[in-house]
Amino acid sequence: MMQLRARRISGAVSTDDILPARYKHASTNPDELAKHVFEYFVPPGFAPFAPGDCIIADSVFGIGSSREQAVSALMAAGVGALIGPAFGRIFYRNCWNLALPAIEADLNDCREGDLVQIDLAAGQIVCPGATVAFSPPPPLLLDVYRAGGLLRHVAAKKLSRQSLQSQGEGS
Amino acid sequence: MTLVQQIIADHARQARAEVGSIVEVEVDWIYAQDGNVPTIARLFELHGLHVGDTSRIRFVCDHSVLAPDRLMASRVKDAERFAARQGIEMVPVGSGISHLLAAEQQWFRPGRLVLGADSHTCTGGAFQSLALGMGATDIACAMAEGRTWLRVPETVRIELRGRPSRHASPKDVMLHILATNTPEAFLYRSIEWCGEWIESLNAEGAATVANMSVELGAKCCFVSAWQGCPSGMMRIDPDAEDGARKMVIQLDGLQPQFADGHAISTGRSIDKADREPVDCVFVGSCANSRLEDIGTVARLLRGRSIAPGLRLVVTPGTRNIHLQALQHGHVETLIAAGALVTPAGCGPCVGTQGHVPADGDLVVSTMNRNFLGRMGNPHARIVLVSPLVAAATALLGHIPSLAELEDLTLTDDVSPDHDRADQPERAS
Repeated sequence: MMQLRARRISGAVSTDDILPARYKHASTNPDELAKHVFEYFVPPGFAPFAPGDCIIADSVFGIGSSREQAVSALMAAGVGALIGPAFGRIFYRNCWNLALPAIEADLNDCREGDLVQIDLAAGQIVCPGATVAFSPPPPLLLDVYRAGGLLRHVAAKKLSRQSLQSQGEGS
Repeated sequence: MTLVQQIIADHARQARAEVGSIVEVEVDWIYAQDGNVPTIARLFELHGLHVGDTSRIRFVCDHSVLAPDRLMASRVKDAERFAARQGIEMVPVGSGISHLLAAEQQWFRPGRLVLGADSHTCTGGAFQSLALGMGATDIACAMAEGRTWLRVPETVRIELRGRPSRHASPKDVMLHILATNTPEAFLYRSIEWCGEWIESLNAEGAATVANMSVELGAKCCFVSAWQGCPSGMMRIDPDAEDGARKMVIQLDGLQPQFADGHAISTGRSIDKADREPVDCVFVGSCANSRLEDIGTVARLLRGRSIAPGLRLVVTPGTRNIHLQALQHGHVETLIAAGALVTPAGCGPCVGTQGHVPADGDLVVSTMNRNFLGRMGNPHARIVLVSPLVAAATALLGHIPSLAELEDLTLTDDVSPDHDRADQPERAS
């Protein structure tokens, strides 16, 4: 169960909005990139993210460019999950690949700063105003999330295959 | 099964690929550009990865061809060093935009599954590749494993009926469709483009349609067989019964469009544009930087000069296109008219190389996106148009009315391939 703080963001948001292109061409360090989140496009009433934040979007979030750096920069800025009606397709993959849950759900009754509790496996979000059900992520995405990201998941799978093989050889 | 289901089933070595299922597939080809290779290199180091088959991977430097500062120059160097260490071919800098190279060098082939570290990889749909843009982790994983996971998407089959007006191009068709449909209809889905107008397109037009499909939110797209398309491409039947959702869009009489900043969904007839003074015109990007696009601009500019005080930047999509434009006399025409012709690549599209517009500038561009700050300055406004409208804007200093566009094109033969040097062997 995750407990996070709701940070409402209104309107369609592109990955260009999240992180302008020039910064991903200048640095590969997420902590550095985090300084430039929403630098050009400032969502109405936006205050900088802090650890434990959960983005609550009311429109499609993360459309446009493939830049995974938009996700790693949000994570470095403190974002622990995203909830919204829809996500840009590549952005959605990038989120789960980096173990940042992106959950398709409408959370209209949740206010800025509210405590948001997320049960990923059960597919349930609880906030002061509402309890909302969502389709839990498919097993592959849950595995990737629990492993800490796609590359760790793949490495772990490889290790377990190898250990199975060596057990097979030993017997 | 729809095209996307067939290709996914083939690459999963399964008889069928059910919509909504998650499937592991083999990948035929991978390419990545200079903005993402440094991050991929970092992931390789962090996770101790090793490349599988280097013969199916290419790196391209197209975003920062003329690196504008120390940091970006050093990241391009990181990319080059990583390529050398891993034994991956880095296409020589200045060769052009990755998606256009993928077409020229036949990385895109019908039925292939291609991954690109750039969202406009969907351009491969013009060649009926399942071409998917992905982020750095997905690309790193596929480079190491030779495989990736996909969710089998639903298909929307769009039949385009009728014909746009004489001066409307595939770009105008896409701006119109973006303005009249919400992305929710196409998000995560595969689009199959078909109908008589689609079948009448050439390679350039098909590529523009495929390229801007991602702006509709699509996962991938497939363009029905077009004029002179590679063998192996199939005609998409608008009436096929294979579970695809069907949609008909009328194009009859469609006029040239403009989409004002900072939303792609604002396209409407150029007759609705104010006659505000334009500061900069850009012809280029993976949407419109092909020989036909540059030829269209050169034909309108021949014997004329661009408006005083206006900057016209033209960036050919690839070095080959640049060379052909030289042979056709287009480059000479453009330079004589006052254009700045830059080396091949993405040009100023993403603000990762010049020209960066000034505060308060109004930019008219053939790019595919006009997000705030796209060209490196959030205080500049970007309006999207076709190459013909961009050329007319460069001459007049404002977005043309339909009457002005008609006047300008009256004396010109706007049909392609009527140039003084059309003999392909001229340069040899």
